Amino acid sequence: MEALFALVTAENALLIAKNLALILCITLPLLGAVAYLTLAERKVIGWMQLRVGPNRVGPYGLLQPIADAVKLIFKETIIPADASKVVFMIAPAMVMVPALIAWAVIPFGEGMVLADINLGVLYLLATSSLGVYGVLMSGWASNSKYPFLGAVRSAAQMVSYEVSMGLTLLSIILMSGSMNLSDIVMAQKGMWYMIPAFPMFVVFIISILAETNRAPFDLPEGEAELVAGFHAEYGSMPFALFFLGEYANMILMSAMTAVLFMGGWLPPVDMAPFTWVPGIVWFAAKIAFVLFIFLWVRATLPRYRYDQLMRLGWKVFLPFTLIWLVLTASAMHLLGKV
Amino acid sequence: MTPFNMMPFDWFAVAPALPEVFLACAAMGLLIVGVFSRGEVASRSVGGLALVSLVVTYVIMHAAKVADFQQAFPKGAVGFMFVADEFAFYAKGLILAAGVFSILLTPDFMNRNSINKFEYYVLITLATLGMMIMVSANDLLAMYVGMELMSFCLYILAAFWRDNLKSSEAGLKYFVLGSLASGLMLYGMSLLYGMTGDTSFDGIGILLGNGLPNIEHSVAITVALVLMIVAMAFKVSAVPFHMWTPDVYEGAPTPVTVFMATAPKAAAMLLMMRVLYQPLLALEDQWMQMLTVLSLLTMGIGSLLAIVQTNIKRLLAYSSIGNVGFMLVGVVAGTEDGVQGVLVYLAIYLTMTIGLFAVLLSLRRKNVFVETIDDLAGLARTAPGAAFAMMLITFSLAGVPPLVGFFGKFYVFSAAIAAGQTWLAISGVLFSVIAAYYCLRIVKVMYFDEGKFRPELNQPSNAQWIAVLAAAGVLVMSVFIDVLDHTAGRAASSLFRLEHTVARH
Amino acid sequence: MLAFADLVFYMFAAMLLGSAMGVIFAKNPMHCVLLLILTFFNAAGLFILLGAEFIGLLLVMVYVGAIAVMFLFVLMTIDIDFAVLKEGFASYLPSGLIVGAVLMAELVIAGQAGLFSGARISTLTAMPAPDGVENIRALGQVLFTHYLFPFQVAALILLVAMIGAIVLTHRRREGVRRQNVMAQIARTREDSLSIVKVKPGQGI
Repeated sequence: MEALFALVTAENALLIAKNLALILCITLPLLGAVAYLTLAERKVIGWMQLRVGPNRVGPYGLLQPIADAVKLIFKETIIPADASKVVFMIAPAMVMVPALIAWAVIPFGEGMVLADINLGVLYLLATSSLGVYGVLMSGWASNSKYPFLGAVRSAAQMVSYEVSMGLTLLSIILMSGSMNLSDIVMAQKGMWYMIPAFPMFVVFIISILAETNRAPFDLPEGEAELVAGFHAEYGSMPFALFFLGEYANMILMSAMTAVLFMGGWLPPVDMAPFTWVPGIVWFAAKIAFVLFIFLWVRATLPRYRYDQLMRLGWKVFLPFTLIWLVLTASAMHLLGKV
Repeated sequence: MTPFNMMPFDWFAVAPALPEVFLACAAMGLLIVGVFSRGEVASRSVGGLALVSLVVTYVIMHAAKVADFQQAFPKGAVGFMFVADEFAFYAKGLILAAGVFSILLTPDFMNRNSINKFEYYVLITLATLGMMIMVSANDLLAMYVGMELMSFCLYILAAFWRDNLKSSEAGLKYFVLGSLASGLMLYGMSLLYGMTGDTSFDGIGILLGNGLPNIEHSVAITVALVLMIVAMAFKVSAVPFHMWTPDVYEGAPTPVTVFMATAPKAAAMLLMMRVLYQPLLALEDQWMQMLTVLSLLTMGIGSLLAIVQTNIKRLLAYSSIGNVGFMLVGVVAGTEDGVQGVLVYLAIYLTMTIGLFAVLLSLRRKNVFVETIDDLAGLARTAPGAAFAMMLITFSLAGVPPLVGFFGKFYVFSAAIAAGQTWLAISGVLFSVIAAYYCLRIVKVMYFDEGKFRPELNQPSNAQWIAVLAAAGVLVMSVFIDVLDHTAGRAASSLFRLEHTVARH
Repeated sequence: MLAFADLVFYMFAAMLLGSAMGVIFAKNPMHCVLLLILTFFNAAGLFILLGAEFIGLLLVMVYVGAIAVMFLFVLMTIDIDFAVLKEGFASYLPSGLIVGAVLMAELVIAGQAGLFSGARISTLTAMPAPDGVENIRALGQVLFTHYLFPFQVAALILLVAMIGAIVLTHRRREGVRRQNVMAQIARTREDSLSIVKVKPGQGI
């Protein structure tokens, strides 16, 4: 016990405080971004469909997310009578938390990363594979058939697309020779990986759509057949957590795309006017671009049928990425990079 | 060794394993051929190609032996874990032969029960590969992966007739018990590794041969030894780890039973000998006691329980258990002669088993394959040829002198006597007398009993000529027993190759 | 003096043991699996603490991310009657306790005999942990050279497992409409469209 108390030193306290501050520096803006992503989605889709979108709350509807948040917080939390209560309440957090902890390894600029670990890519894959538990748990704990079906669908979908996502990442690792995300960004100084590995970029974009259960792969939430899927029984803050988790995941995946394929914080061209802009702005711009693709796709494409979705994942992407992996490895060997 | 810099990989280090590499590639090729051809054609072409690849593997193996790859390419990356000596060569010969004959016996049965899927042949090929790796293993890791490769294929093959309840049950039972055995094996291996810090057979053999510094470690190593012997006893189905054998043999489709009763038995037996005589030789005193008990129990239970069986596949299962018991007598002898005896016995046992099943597969009764012993009643009148072949083989199984079965028993028992295990040999002889009873019962049913429906010969199939071949084999092999004996002798002497093994007494 | 890492170790270890106990004692199999996942997670934490970060992350990715999901899947889709599950518990308890007691006794005896002291009879030791080499690089170096042979055979074992899963479970069902992408793409206007001139008052 004494040894435990001995740990309470100014040094340790400072260390913890510093890390906590850094974590807050990442998560608070992230939560803000999540809130405004919802607004952006409604606005963008509104414009695409020749509507105005929300414009009542505040100037140009800018206070809409806050109004939404207040509404959700003040709603009553309902737990179904037959639900497995503990699991039911943990589930939303299980969706939200992985989307947040993954940010630990994302580099925002040169040296601007919370944990500069060697296996960043693996860490991202590991954390992104956790999100499926929240969905499965909520579907099971609700003890209701539509959420259950939604959960089963989404779990199968996420696991399937993780495979092709992992394989696309492997070809990136092969090209950069490192699993450290900062190193991967620096390796793209000459050329963004989306150019030599363009097919992988496309596969990756499609995979992240499926991985985040977004349109056109939003079958787990299909309103028409599943009345909103795995979170049908949720309301109030637990529902808000699912919602936040989904959007946080979208931002995370966009950040991954930016880091792995679009040169992270690097400017598009290493020349004077571009280099004046700070790296973090470039990074944010790239994330915003990928997020725009998310919204664009949602406004444009109809929903996939489930068997087509599975077919695409296992019979098209998996062989394709495997072949591409071999091609990349051979190319790297022939170019003498390995 | 420079572990963490770029270690240049010497591709020629793979050369001793060339037959295995070929077979692995062939198996994957077969899979592709099967996937891209449809229906009947798929299984027929894959079956044919599987046969060809097994034969080609043998040819490559022979060429590699003639060219002496093992010497020509000193141990490299693969060589550390792989050894292609005379012993392995003999073992692989047996395994490949068993594989070839099982494939030949397959199509008729599978077609009649409409389970003729091409994956069967791929799995047989991969199981054969696993066994080849097992008997060539020179490292705990290589041995384990080889064993798992074989076992996985066998689990699937046992359940291959998936619409048949018994087959599914057999597969599941085999899988659960087999996994347990694998677990025990791993446990024992990890203890052994923990105590010696090495996984290679050579390394462990030398370390253990140098003697154990204190008693504590010898306790741990004994535990490891027990666990490994239990696991291997399971694989050869020695009593009391035989429970799965009758159920699995009965439930599995008959061609699968043929395969399981021959190749994996041989592979596990040979692996057991390699493990006991190479890395664990220093513990001879300990394993000899265990194996003596195992061998006695196995001979006894196998022979006695075979008598009360009515289902012929169960009978053959117990018979194979009994035969394993006789082979263990040779292992217990602990001498080169003993090993040689076991090697000869294995070759003979394989011939007899394939012959017996070939006869069974060439018969039918009321349009189904014969199942019970009584189904054979009156066979001598409807198909005298088949009955005669069956009689020859069962007599050989019983160990009636001019036939080859006698020599197998003779070699192991005389080796045991020479090694001073007289009473073990005597009990072995007693149990083989008991075993003769069930063999003679089959003959009696065929020649003197009369059933309501007589069994008849199927349309001409591979099974018939294989039965004839095996029957001729049990006659002819006793004439050329010297050749077999000589080959087995060379194989056996290559097992005792480590220097410390020579100086052990 | 405890280091900060020790505190983290105790945290992970306590969680690991607690959730492992939960796996055994939880009444609902679903909760068992969820606790098992927590166990894996804490084990991964311990690995990372040991400096084996690759193994730790792999544990999360493979066991938590894939295998446990399959567990959950199976458990969710089968109908479990908890009463039946617990039925035989009392009758199996004595034999279970005996086995447990024997194993425990063996462990104690083995411990007494110094089995776990870590001493080796040989002078051989494990390969020293490389300095400044990433985990994954170090693993790759031995996996594709020294351990190439068992590594490749392990791959074959996985292939066999895959073949087995297909052979034993795949059934081509009749009457199921399958999508033929090639046929869909190859469809032309001529195949699917014909213009018929219909005279007024006659119909087709």
